[in-house]
Amino acid sequence: MDEKIKILYVDDEPENLVGFKASLRLDYQIITATSVPEGISCLNNHPDIRIIFCDQRMPGKTGVDFFEDIRVSHPLPVRIMLTAYTDVESIIDAINKGNIFRFVKKPWTETDIVLAIEEANKFYMATSMLAIKNKELQAAYDELTKFAYSVSHDIRGPLVGVLGGINLAGLIDNVAEMRDLLAVMKIAVIKLDTYALSMHDYYTLQKGLLKITAIDFNAVIDAMKTMYSLTSKANNVDFKINVEQDEVFVSDKITLKIIIGNLLSNAFKYQDKTKTNKLVELRVEVNNGMATIYVTDTGIGIVESHLGEIFNLFFRSNSTEVGSGIGLYNVKNALFKLNGEIQVNSVLNEGTTFKVTIPSL
Amino acid sequence: MNIEFSFIIVDDSELDCYVTKKFLELTNDNVIVKPFHNANDALKFIQKNDSGIGTFPTIILLDLQMPGMTGFNFVEEFEKLSTAIQENYIVIILTVLSFTSDPNNIQRILRYRVVNSVIEKPLTQEKLLELLNQVS
Repeated sequence: MDEKIKILYVDDEPENLVGFKASLRLDYQIITATSVPEGISCLNNHPDIRIIFCDQRMPGKTGVDFFEDIRVSHPLPVRIMLTAYTDVESIIDAINKGNIFRFVKKPWTETDIVLAIEEANKFYMATSMLAIKNKELQAAYDELTKFAYSVSHDIRGPLVGVLGGINLAGLIDNVAEMRDLLAVMKIAVIKLDTYALSMHDYYTLQKGLLKITAIDFNAVIDAMKTMYSLTSKANNVDFKINVEQDEVFVSDKITLKIIIGNLLSNAFKYQDKTKTNKLVELRVEVNNGMATIYVTDTGIGIVESHLGEIFNLFFRSNSTEVGSGIGLYNVKNALFKLNGEIQVNSVLNEGTTFKVTIPSL
Repeated sequence: MNIEFSFIIVDDSELDCYVTKKFLELTNDNVIVKPFHNANDALKFIQKNDSGIGTFPTIILLDLQMPGMTGFNFVEEFEKLSTAIQENYIVIILTVLSFTSDPNNIQRILRYRVVNSVIEKPLTQEKLLELLNQVS
């Protein structure tokens, strides 16, 4: 930990606060308050306060009252009571109502306080780690629920569809009809394969470490170009590439490929088949340590109300096209790893532009 | 049998729509099949064609898991239509979910009054003949 631990001390006698601050300020960041309301406003202004010391005897509200008040509003900081009066009644109150971690007897020595702070800090770290882990666990659990749906819809769906096709094939004698059936079955198999590949990306992004190298965008895109040129020809979509890079750019190649690949594949996938001039444009500009990537298509566009959701796992804006709802989610995670950002502009029936900005690492 | 069957298929999977439609056409000489890739379009179509699309009550073969309007949403909306419309249709669920793999969802869908029965995918000729016997 580089940063000093933030500590709040509430006491109605200013000289106590001054003494406390004087002896501890070198090792800790001390914030002081002379009353309960002032203490609460300090907590609101500094949400990262880890430890609170409070005097028990104060005019108006006591230390126990203060701790009781903030128990719900500020549950995270660890509470330590400073008191000269260790009568049983106030101790019981403090523990039961105020959720006190420790008592320090007045007059205190620096050793008492430092020891209390170190213990309290360990306790704080353990509880806040627990809170973070719980949050992560909840997120993982939510994803698992989505995966359960996806297993039946995106994996079993196409498989069972193909099985239905095989059952049907038993009734078909006509070769032309059989070929039609095989063509539709093929789409389902490709969809399943795409799904498996996106799952691979998903795990690469979840588990993989970044491998930082100098990136030559021309080389990265050249390697992907062949595949998309085929798609471009097969679907009669014009494909334009423009790369402007005069400086060194440092990043992770695999993660960059996931970002550009998914955006390109969507741009080709969601074309408007009725249009005559279909276009996908990829533009990369590297300036002042920042790469800006534009992927523009003349496709079907995205309904405005869906724009906020397209990066969610398994969200699909369009039900008729081949899509599993993982691609843009992977893009979002990939950008998170590279500190990048993404913006989307879309006009229904006209097309979509994704703008990605990534800093050189 | 000289009954004319009519069907509406609601399934987001192009393959499943194709296979179901072909199965129906190959099993019956006299059949009308109308496939929909999304439930919303199917619902709009039914509202417009309130007396069904054939002489027999029209059978709706409904998938459950679909993006956008799901099979559950569809059934909920269908139950809001007038009784006159509802009487011209029979709703049959056609899904990859089964009593053994997903009892909760199957029980949930069977609780809807308009849902007649559930057929588990993949479709076979036996399952289809059984269905046609049951509704005729």
